Amino acid sequence: MLSSILSGLSIGSVLLLVALGLTVIYGSMGIINMAHGELVMLGAYVTVFSERFLRLPFLLCLPLAFGVTAGLGLLIERVVVRRLYGRLLDTLLATWGIGIILQQVIRLSFGPELQNVSVPGFLTGEYRIGEVSLQAYRLAIFLVALALFAIALLILYRTDFGTQLRAVTQNPQISACNGINVNQIRSYTFALGSGLAGVAGVMVSGFNAVSPTMGTNYVVDSFIVVVVGGVSSLVGTVASSALLGSVNSVVAWMSNDVLAKVVLLGLAIAVIRFFPKGLFTIQSR
Amino acid sequence: MVSEMNLVKLKRFILSPYTLFIVAILIPPLFVVDPFWVNRLSLYLVFSVLALSMSLCWGYAGILSLGHGVFFGLGAYCMAMSLKLLSPDSLTQGTPFPLPDFIVWNTPPGEALKLPWLWVPFQNQWFGLVAALLVPALFAALVGWFVFYGSVSGVFISIITLSMVVILNLVIIDQQPLTNGFNGLNNLAMFNVGGFEFDPYGLPTYYLIAIACALTLLGTRWLTQTKAGLIFKAIQADEQRVKYFGYDIAAYKIFALSVSAMIAGLAGVLFVINSQYASPTIMDVTLSIAIVIWVAVGGRDSLIGAAVGAIAINAIQNVLSESESLINVWRLLLGILFLLVVMFLPKGLASLGSLLQRSPSVTTDTATPVEAVDSQPLKLLSQVEPRK
Repeated sequence: MLSSILSGLSIGSVLLLVALGLTVIYGSMGIINMAHGELVMLGAYVTVFSERFLRLPFLLCLPLAFGVTAGLGLLIERVVVRRLYGRLLDTLLATWGIGIILQQVIRLSFGPELQNVSVPGFLTGEYRIGEVSLQAYRLAIFLVALALFAIALLILYRTDFGTQLRAVTQNPQISACNGINVNQIRSYTFALGSGLAGVAGVMVSGFNAVSPTMGTNYVVDSFIVVVVGGVSSLVGTVASSALLGSVNSVVAWMSNDVLAKVVLLGLAIAVIRFFPKGLFTIQSR
Repeated sequence: MVSEMNLVKLKRFILSPYTLFIVAILIPPLFVVDPFWVNRLSLYLVFSVLALSMSLCWGYAGILSLGHGVFFGLGAYCMAMSLKLLSPDSLTQGTPFPLPDFIVWNTPPGEALKLPWLWVPFQNQWFGLVAALLVPALFAALVGWFVFYGSVSGVFISIITLSMVVILNLVIIDQQPLTNGFNGLNNLAMFNVGGFEFDPYGLPTYYLIAIACALTLLGTRWLTQTKAGLIFKAIQADEQRVKYFGYDIAAYKIFALSVSAMIAGLAGVLFVINSQYASPTIMDVTLSIAIVIWVAVGGRDSLIGAAVGAIAINAIQNVLSESESLINVWRLLLGILFLLVVMFLPKGLASLGSLLQRSPSVTTDTATPVEAVDSQPLKLLSQVEPRK
């Protein structure tokens, strides 16, 4: 039982990790970023690249991946997304196109084969708590997910940028009247969300094989988390990751992994239909 | 004596893109003799039927389905189940009823061999064919009823359909005893009409598919010219207004999605006749997105554009797939083309054709998409009258 809870927490923290960037973008800009999975994939490839050519320590890949994907996110917003505000379906398609382009660029430069990343020694061991063994890497993912969540909260609620971002989310016109550079805020938001995806990619590369097509799974997972959690708050994302993680581990424990995934997707569809604002949204007005 | 009016009409009929397209798909076998290429060409036509289905659903009714592979796959599986039961392998298992080989392999020794109940009615090929059309249509109606009568907005319909294709793909792979899992159904019998077998590499099969494709094109064109077609377009332009006129918007959308799913099911049937297999790869996310790309590049609200887009993209892809690096570069270029079309040419490459024909004022309209989108619906909405 305890191991089931731990596995749920572990799955939940991976979900939180990959979905956080998407929540920031979708929650505050209302944009469905289908390239999100590919940004995660890119973060993973930053690790591969640094291991092969730069020989940086694993942990240094985290800020490096953040920088690379955030920069790319900034570019994507400036060149593509900005031109499509108000055309939601086209934004979805355009970001999907970007995802395809990123996938092909990586496939052409790194090859289609699976890549493995070696993880530093202190992250490979196991800890024992009573009966249950806990992989150090799982613990690390949990901690990184929490840390990123804390950083995102800090940025949103304790910085000028965060205040302006929340203002733009509520009402872009009035924000502009009050002297907020709406376009700039949106660019930075997109960059922040993309950067978070990159960091998630680095962490994911430590326990899953890295391949050009790995992003597709993550984009679907992230959407489930965001949809179930509701768009308005980061806290909803955490709650929904925890819920979905435990549902996944319970169903997988009772039957199999495939059915667990099917149940998650079915749950997401039901939530979209019956609770369009998500399960963890505080009722306002 | 033929009046001038009739001559003009005749000329317009002959030169209309529809006639040209249908003639164009009937001609190639006169020049192509290599059975391999006959088979390939008819496969592209199968994909063009799929593109027509997507164009109807997305371009005309405004429902962007990212899970059209489900309808295609359901159609293909229904047809393949019948053809599997009719294959020589299944008929010679030593049981009084036909039995697919994988079911024999899966049955533990000592247990009685039996045909799963889901398979029983498929012993008749025509049941398989009818099911291949009705199952996708009913499934689409169910999905449509579920989403359109709820407050699900446009983008979320895409997300739901996307989740749907992931779910069905997983289920098919997981239900190995019933579906042969990842390997799918292969080693099928040929489609048989009154004793005549449609060899996938033969000309009759090409013409069977070409005629189905032509009829689908004419049928979808007819549908878009009816009042229902007008309402589809009007809903896209201004949903509220059509609703206040007393039309049941959800019902129209369900209808559009079901018809589109039925056409996708037909494409699935033709695919199985052409390729003689059905596997989970034909109902996955990759194919579903590929359909959207063909239609977006070709022109989402131009039936001909969508069909030609599907044929052209698949033909190029096939020629380039000889070499690993070429095909990857092509996919990259296709991604870039898709992105550019979505950003700057929302009506696809087909709209380039009409740009060249019309007056320059239209050109400036399309250069600023907002205006073009605004003025057309007004004209269109004025044709829709309140329901009595």
